[in-house]
Amino acid sequence: MTLPDQALKAAIPDLRNVPLDRLAELGDSVLAESIALYRQRLLDSGVPVYRFNSGI
Amino acid sequence: MITTHQLPEEAFTALARGDGDPAVVRHLSDVQRSKHLMLLHDIAAGAEGAGPGSPEIAAFRAGWELLVKVQEADPDAFAWVSGLPHIGAWAHDCLERKDRGLLPDLGYLAAAAVAAAVRAGVQFELDVPVKDGRVLLPGLGYFHGLGAGSWVRLRGDAERLTVGALTEAPRTALVPDGGSGDPVQHWQGTHAARAVADGRTWTVLLETGDRYLDRFALPMSAALTAKEVTSWQECIQSAWEVLVRHHGWAAGSIAAGVSVIIPLTAHGDTDLDSATTPAAFGAIATSLPPDPVIMAEILVHEFQHLKLCGLEDIAPLTEPSDERVYAPWRPDPRPVGGLLQGVYAHLGMARFWAAQRHLETDPDDILRAQVMFERWRSMIEPVTATLLRTGRLTQPGARFVALLRDQGQRLESEVVPADVSAVARKVALDHRLTWQLRHTAIDATAVTDLATAYQAGEPRSGRLLPEGRIEEDTRTVDPTTRSRLLNMRFLEPRRYSELSDAGLPGLSAADRLLLSGQASRAVRAYRDQISAAPEPLAEAWTGLALAIHLLGQTPFLPAFDTGLPLMFDVHACLAARGIRSDPLELASWLG
Repeated sequence: MTLPDQALKAAIPDLRNVPLDRLAELGDSVLAESIALYRQRLLDSGVPVYRFNSGI
Repeated sequence: MITTHQLPEEAFTALARGDGDPAVVRHLSDVQRSKHLMLLHDIAAGAEGAGPGSPEIAAFRAGWELLVKVQEADPDAFAWVSGLPHIGAWAHDCLERKDRGLLPDLGYLAAAAVAAAVRAGVQFELDVPVKDGRVLLPGLGYFHGLGAGSWVRLRGDAERLTVGALTEAPRTALVPDGGSGDPVQHWQGTHAARAVADGRTWTVLLETGDRYLDRFALPMSAALTAKEVTSWQECIQSAWEVLVRHHGWAAGSIAAGVSVIIPLTAHGDTDLDSATTPAAFGAIATSLPPDPVIMAEILVHEFQHLKLCGLEDIAPLTEPSDERVYAPWRPDPRPVGGLLQGVYAHLGMARFWAAQRHLETDPDDILRAQVMFERWRSMIEPVTATLLRTGRLTQPGARFVALLRDQGQRLESEVVPADVSAVARKVALDHRLTWQLRHTAIDATAVTDLATAYQAGEPRSGRLLPEGRIEEDTRTVDPTTRSRLLNMRFLEPRRYSELSDAGLPGLSAADRLLLSGQASRAVRAYRDQISAAPEPLAEAWTGLALAIHLLGQTPFLPAFDTGLPLMFDVHACLAARGIRSDPLELASWLG
């Protein structure tokens, strides 16, 4: 199988170094789109819990 | 200019193979920090203009402003608090409440900001919520003895923290409780375990106070006694030694990615449950395992889930679908995403037991390790094939599964003793056949037509057999003593021997023959049992199918491999007409 030689881009923007009080300035652009995508994922699958019973 | 997180190709490949070194795990943790901040922004946007004058809103705003100060003064403290699984769990609950039109627990942010400010030594003064007489500082601990009030004012600076009129404490004393610090009045640091092996350290919180992390099937232990804390610390220490010394591929990444263990309260001695959720990356919930090897196995298993949760926040690997499929480790039909999560976790377990089976010295432990290895490695191939066949994988998902499958195939070359294979195969077959009968629905009209033709002595040839469809709990098939004993044989060999010596009470004669390896006699006994019973016996049918499989290649095998639900339904239809049918004749007729 041929593997693409490129990094996987996340739908989530890198916010680690964005000052918290400037997050609102991003609200209508990348951030709003990312939140909408994430919300859609939660609508599709909920917030799953992966449960394991070691006795099985 | 804002950028997005990117996962290098080699990191993706490593994760797909079940690996991922600490650097890869830190990358996943960084994405989680951004996710938490993204959710926090959404919560803040919802809080704007909501309920002016409410103490919750005021606390949220004060917390937000304090976090702005902490971020500027001490980026490490800000990174610490924004990466806590507590924050992820709280933020997901806020999002859910917000989307349902309910007011989120906004005051929690003030307490989280105080926790960060305490670490950073930043000055502040704000009100935080009191629940059950406690103020929780996420990731650090809680103050108790605050009585019935709803709010308390906290003041802090570089030196001290004052809690209303209750108490004050040196800032540096407000840390998790590893058992070595001086006691602070009214303060209980979150219990912590510091495990050290061969110079490698893993520090992890034992969280029992944060209600947002109490989100699993078993309840979070409300409080741990000193003896229980010691039991957990000893278990984690011993498991860490197992991981560091024998499973190095997993140890470093677990230490880098798991910051919280959530002790769960089991309902009984044999109730061993563990769990993870993408809402709380970095946290593993578990009841206390009976021994360190099982704890190590749980850590490997659950951390696989966490890695995959982290990766799926970068790039979803499955598409939304209502399709449900068979998972060899679950009693219920699973969605495609759940199947991928499960096989990835079991790849980790197969690798764990692949090494562990060479380390055990007690014959019972060797048997358990061997069977666990065989059981889990042998299902990677069929499950990955199912995943690829669903067509519900994204492009990265298909690539991920292909790499995972390669890794599973590498394990296939390892040799296990024939008797071990036989035990694992029986358990796997029993699971699959029971699942088939429980969850495969057959068109009722087609069943009636077939029963009528059989009753009339007509040939079956020329009649198409109906396809089954997966439908949860379409028939009642109770868990059987036979299934429990098949598992007990390798999980608790001593108890199994004792029960064997006592004649395996609770089993039918056919089940006893099956468990003692007398497949031909078991077939006859199940056949007699089914033929004589006025009602269809699901447990006897699965036993018969199992015994037929153990006979090897016989003319009956194809019908019992995939046609068990159809045979059962035709048999039941005939029984409802007062006709007792011979299961093997029916199998021959249905072909």
